[in-house]
Amino acid sequence: MIEEALEYIRSNPDGVLQSDLWKALGIDSRKCSRIVAKLLKDGLITREEELAEGVRTYRLRAVERPACTDRFTPLMASDIFDPCAGCTDECVPERCPKLSEWLFALAFSKSTGQKPHAAASL
Amino acid sequence: MVAVENPIHRAYLLKIVGEEGLKIVEAMPEGEEVTDEHIAEITGISLNTVRRSLYLLYEHRLAVYRRKRDPDSGWLTYLWKICPEALDSALEAEVRKLINKLNARLRYEKDHVFYACVNGCARFVFEEATENNFICPFCQGSLEYMENSTIVEVIEERIKELSAALCS
Repeated sequence: MIEEALEYIRSNPDGVLQSDLWKALGIDSRKCSRIVAKLLKDGLITREEELAEGVRTYRLRAVERPACTDRFTPLMASDIFDPCAGCTDECVPERCPKLSEWLFALAFSKSTGQKPHAAASL
Repeated sequence: MVAVENPIHRAYLLKIVGEEGLKIVEAMPEGEEVTDEHIAEITGISLNTVRRSLYLLYEHRLAVYRRKRDPDSGWLTYLWKICPEALDSALEAEVRKLINKLNARLRYEKDHVFYACVNGCARFVFEEATENNFICPFCQGSLEYMENSTIVEVIEERIKELSAALCS
């Protein structure tokens, strides 16, 4: 539901009134407040007070993210992608061999002065 | 067709659904619904693989489906649509997950002293090394102290970089 709320806010460039958001999503206003609080906490939206038909509400706007292709390159270590993505093994990060391999690749890149995340080489 | 050009998006899809899965994604028409049978037909990939890949994409919110019942036969048809616009939010979720795992690993690396086999078999914490009398249980080579400050540094750096990816 959080993703749906965010998508709805993003699809409205002028922002969405919080009083309209819960109606559009078919949820009650209390649940909507909790979702909005979470989105605000994650820095995904901004909120401004506004009066709509004499009632105080908030206008919610999605935070613009630059379409930066490099934003997620820290998921790479040399040419190894984030080992946790899609992983279905029992999760023990302290001893996980796949996470160790990824970390050793990072440490190796650091010690040899190679680019730590060479996404361009994919 | 969905063109996956961003190398990180490609790497992510490869990790989740493999090479055949990536072929399936690239064969899907953008913004249109399509049956799994049609995708199997145009890609030459087995229907089982197509279905498995589509369900994996669905689990990662990268695909959606709608069921349609044939009024004559009563059979259900699944109509699939790919959601390439959800890739960034899926990657953000992966970043959050990885940060949590790296924090757990960082605590472990800071709280333990490590010994490694001289022949490179494995790494052991001090307690395990003493239990084995500093002899590798796999090759009988000796276990020597292993400095892990580089690992600690790279984890700390990478946590910062990943956190910045969420804020940028």
